[in-house]
Amino acid sequence: MLSPNHHEVSSPSHFQQLLSADLDRVSVLNFWADWAEPCKQMNAVTLELAKKYPSILFLQIEAEAQSDISESFDIESVPSIILLQGHTLLQRISGADAPAITAAVAKFASVSSTNPQSKTDLPPATASNTAVSNPSEDLESRMTKLMNQSKVVLFMKGSPDAPRCGFSRRICGLLQDQKVKFTHFDILSDESLRQGLKKRNDWPTFPQLIINGEFVGGLDIVQEMVENGEFAEALAA
Amino acid sequence: MINLADLEAAIRNAIPVSHLEIQDQSSGCGESYAIVLVSEAFEGKGTLARHRFVNDLLKDQIAQMHAFSQKTFTPKQYQDLVAK
Repeated sequence: MLSPNHHEVSSPSHFQQLLSADLDRVSVLNFWADWAEPCKQMNAVTLELAKKYPSILFLQIEAEAQSDISESFDIESVPSIILLQGHTLLQRISGADAPAITAAVAKFASVSSTNPQSKTDLPPATASNTAVSNPSEDLESRMTKLMNQSKVVLFMKGSPDAPRCGFSRRICGLLQDQKVKFTHFDILSDESLRQGLKKRNDWPTFPQLIINGEFVGGLDIVQEMVENGEFAEALAA
Repeated sequence: MINLADLEAAIRNAIPVSHLEIQDQSSGCGESYAIVLVSEAFEGKGTLARHRFVNDLLKDQIAQMHAFSQKTFTPKQYQDLVAK
């Protein structure tokens, strides 16, 4: 039988209502589909976990019926589990990984049952479809900080291990071939940074390579600089 | 989309050209071009500056394409390249 902290989400407004009833608690979103066999296992696991952790909210979301919700969490396959605390993304689990969800719930359950480390009167940050971001920090100074986080910084789509576009993949390959150490930032994870960087660097596309805090170019330019020796010069500076 | 001849004319009208190659990469659809451009106007400009310069010169033309890529050389650089 369903326990009071376990719900099947019927609509985006139902979803919002359930979440906003208590924005301090941890919630587990289980995106499932009846045509995907592995979902049966995860559905059973979440049901059991709901009984064991009454202070955590467990939401069953039929991924296709609730496509707006699925899209806002970038759900690409089922089963997928998203752990939230209020509007903050804690963890994402793809696939029927029962040990992973059990461990994740146990981990975050112990966090939420202790006294909060701080209290605030401010309303919660508006929901974003991204990982944790800090909207109150000045965008300009955030960009400056990121551009200087290491000597070579790459703003790209995805990450070097999992690039989400061909140009981003190729520039990572190029940097690795040139044996350049670099850090990266996934601009798909933060829309305000994505737009802010385009304006800041006066460049309409990603990837964007930064050396010593200055914008150097995209894939074409960096390739050309490697060929004409400018790249080595920029790194030596 | 933009006609190759129009693109070439726009380039030649804007800067001194020593050598120019234009390739339509959209199989004749005029949507995606790659150019190799050799010009003394690039002397003293770093790669980023050259690309911004060309992007600005061809702003209207590029706006009619889906994709545009460029390789730029000064006459000396191109001579060295060809000699290899």
